Amino acid sequence: MSKTHVTTTINGEPTEYLCEASQSMLDVLRDELDLTGTKEGCGSGDCGACSIIVDDRLVCACLMLGAEAEGRRVLTIEGMSHGDKLHPLQQKFIEMAALQCGVCTPGMLIAAKALLDRNPNPSETEVRFGLAGNLCRCTGYDKIVRAVLDVAAEQRETTR
Amino acid sequence: MMLREDRSPRRYEAALKVRGAARFTAEIPVASMLHAALVLSPLPSGRVGRIDAGEALALPGIVRVLTHAEMPRIDRPGVLIPLQGPDVHHAGQPVALVAATTPAAARRGAASVEVAYERRPAILNLADGEPFAPKTAGRTATDSRRGDPETALRQAEVAIGRRYTTATNNHHPMEPQCVTAQWDGERLTVLTTTQAVFAHRLAIAECFGLRPEDVRIVSHYLGGGFGAKGGAWFPHLVMAIAAARVLGRPLRLELTREQMFTLTGRRQETVQDLKLGATKDGRLTAIVHESLAPTSMFGEYADALATVTRVLHACPNVATRQRLARVNAPQPNPARAPGEGPGSFALESALDELAYELDLDPLELRLRNIAAHDQHVDLPWSSNGLRECYRAGAASFGWARRPMRPGSLREGHQAIGIGMAAACYPAYRMASEAAVGIGADGRVKVRCGTQDMGSGTYTVLAQLAAEALGMSYAEVDVELGDSLLPEGPYSGGSMATASFTPAVETAARDLRGRLLALASADAASPLAGIAPERMSIADGMIRSGNRSEPVSELVARRAPQGLEARAGAAPEARPDFSAFGFGAVFAEVRVDSDLGEVRVSRLTAAYAAGRILNPLLARSQFVGGLIWGVGMALHEATVMDPHLGRVVGTSLADYLIPVHADMPAFDIHMVEEDEPRLGSGGVKGIGMLGTVGTAAAIANAVFHATGRRVRDLPIRVEHLLRPD
Ligand code: FES
Ligand code: FES
Repeated sequence: MSKTHVTTTINGEPTEYLCEASQSMLDVLRDELDLTGTKEGCGSGDCGACSIIVDDRLVCACLMLGAEAEGRRVLTIEGMSHGDKLHPLQQKFIEMAALQCGVCTPGMLIAAKALLDRNPNPSETEVRFGLAGNLCRCTGYDKIVRAVLDVAAEQRETTR
Repeated sequence: MMLREDRSPRRYEAALKVRGAARFTAEIPVASMLHAALVLSPLPSGRVGRIDAGEALALPGIVRVLTHAEMPRIDRPGVLIPLQGPDVHHAGQPVALVAATTPAAARRGAASVEVAYERRPAILNLADGEPFAPKTAGRTATDSRRGDPETALRQAEVAIGRRYTTATNNHHPMEPQCVTAQWDGERLTVLTTTQAVFAHRLAIAECFGLRPEDVRIVSHYLGGGFGAKGGAWFPHLVMAIAAARVLGRPLRLELTREQMFTLTGRRQETVQDLKLGATKDGRLTAIVHESLAPTSMFGEYADALATVTRVLHACPNVATRQRLARVNAPQPNPARAPGEGPGSFALESALDELAYELDLDPLELRLRNIAAHDQHVDLPWSSNGLRECYRAGAASFGWARRPMRPGSLREGHQAIGIGMAAACYPAYRMASEAAVGIGADGRVKVRCGTQDMGSGTYTVLAQLAAEALGMSYAEVDVELGDSLLPEGPYSGGSMATASFTPAVETAARDLRGRLLALASADAASPLAGIAPERMSIADGMIRSGNRSEPVSELVARRAPQGLEARAGAAPEARPDFSAFGFGAVFAEVRVDSDLGEVRVSRLTAAYAAGRILNPLLARSQFVGGLIWGVGMALHEATVMDPHLGRVVGTSLADYLIPVHADMPAFDIHMVEEDEPRLGSGGVKGIGMLGTVGTAAAIANAVFHATGRRVRDLPIRVEHLLRPD
């Protein structure tokens, strides 16, 4: 089967890969590039475990074709920390124990980052509705919401 | 006593997980592995005829199509291992397996396999099945009886009888089940999503006639389980292992979300009849709890629906009876708080109804019926913190201000309601071994062949060893999820922690004793000659008076290859007490008067569940359990087509699990108990408790808001909008 050649930027790194025309971005990340931090919970856009940011937009990687990454900037969970330096959301998730099994966690963090990038001052309701597409079967969400609100408040402090 | 969450050690593996760096089963590559996809029967009952794989085999990447004709026979009574014969017992049953070089090729292949079926009559609805008595209900007896409930009911000053129903639910852990099976002659390595590395090792060895020590099961990170990755996953796990043997190559089978509706067990639907008798002043005199639930055509499984009924409230005359009926549907299995969840919905709803018959506050009714001992087995409680749970929960929630009359609280177009329920769950335990060692670098290692579903097993294993040894938590490494380790418990029935805790603590204390003896006997140690009883270990230093030595230096000098102590612990054969965790749940709901939409706005819960090892993670487990109750009450239902026998709507868009926006404000109280009699080191288990009683508390709150008693879960808009 003929493959498509894609040139893109993933987590700041210029990246090239070959993919099948029908291959999802999620499969490209996990199977071709070994970036398995992006999780697959459903493959049909219903769970948010595969959340990535493409050119500042939050996307379900399972609903995007690998070929569509051509010329774009892709951010996955692997690009959220810089070396040993975790993103404040990652740090806060650890501190507050806002994760259990951890399958929803990468997608949750990416979606939370996208939310705060767009709206640095969200209300609790905005966080709850903003992250409603990210399913978690373990935590009951409570600590996740609190972690996101805390990080938002701290970031406002430091930028003031 | 209030437990401090802020002093709890943080989750052991959290830093890996927030980076996406923890490798789950489907993310571990195996050289020259093939990928499997399944061909599923659309019929609920029939016989497979001709299978035409010609078109599939012509596609690129397809290596082989396996049907029941090519698969080795596996003898395992009571379990339907697919591809063992031509008979179809439920829609969605695998009838062929396609092996290919990529997952996508396998899926395309599976879509091109043509299967002819002979259709057979099917029983698709519970009401059409023939009721029979199962051998057991979960881990309990099917029926029970004490006193004379029928006479007591007839003579009761107040009596009610009601029917309650609950829906089929699916577990849906966020990580789909996966196995990669790799044969090497008569040796087998299985990477899989399992809640039970050791139980699965034994069962797999039996299926393939292998020695258990030649089978290795690995599950380092597990993306939730809730019952779906134990026995529920076993048949398809075995099918994939058998296929790998036929193919002569490693094979990975990863289920799709759609297949998780049919191939990984389900919480069975229930029809429950509850009769209560009481005196006018609210003492229970009779309880009769009878239930019917479906099982599959090939396996027998009954949730323990009556456990809570038998023990939670004091009552001299109690009869419980559980029946099953066979239907052409997937095999049911335990799901979080298996019978205790749906069973407590019926019992605790009925208690609320009784309270209204008596015109008595529902909490007061329960306070009048606290069981002084376990009347079911006639043994004293190891401890029963229910009264304290009622008190702490009610005080924090503000229960005392609740008006009795339904429909009395409003805010704008929302009717507000308040309800409560009680909960209990048995403290189970099984045998476990564990090893605790220390290396010349001073790092401690705990090794235990149990799993971490996300509940916090890595963390508590590290914590237990650190505390018992006197080392710091950060100095401990944990190995789990591998059958090469000392045999650990399975993760289910809220029993893993209670099972391994005494083994880890004994091993750690033993290691500590050996370290101190070593220091005492070592002329080169500053502690030489001091009796071990006069030494202590804290923060990695052995101390006595003003003399001290780092543990790491002692080990490096005297045991450069390290030291390890191993220990085992098993439950009491015949305990002379009964051990349960208890709880009380208080719910506030808001019901939109125009739309009938129900939102849970507050959940307060108080739990007395023995010794709590890590309050931070325990709180997560309680909240996690509570939302399973919210899901059961308001959202979750696996709908079966009554004519086709298939699941209607097989995505997470159709099957609603609670989301961020559905969550109430949580208020959790942990009543710590001292449990010297429990051989578990005082641990009772907490994972299930949150799911018990919660659905009833919510339904009772909906009644209080609207005056509508909904006895069928999940509660839907149409229940509340239909005219009276
Ligand atoms: S895997 Fe993409 S939304 Fe679930
Ligand atoms: S932590 Fe397990 S699904 Fe969210």
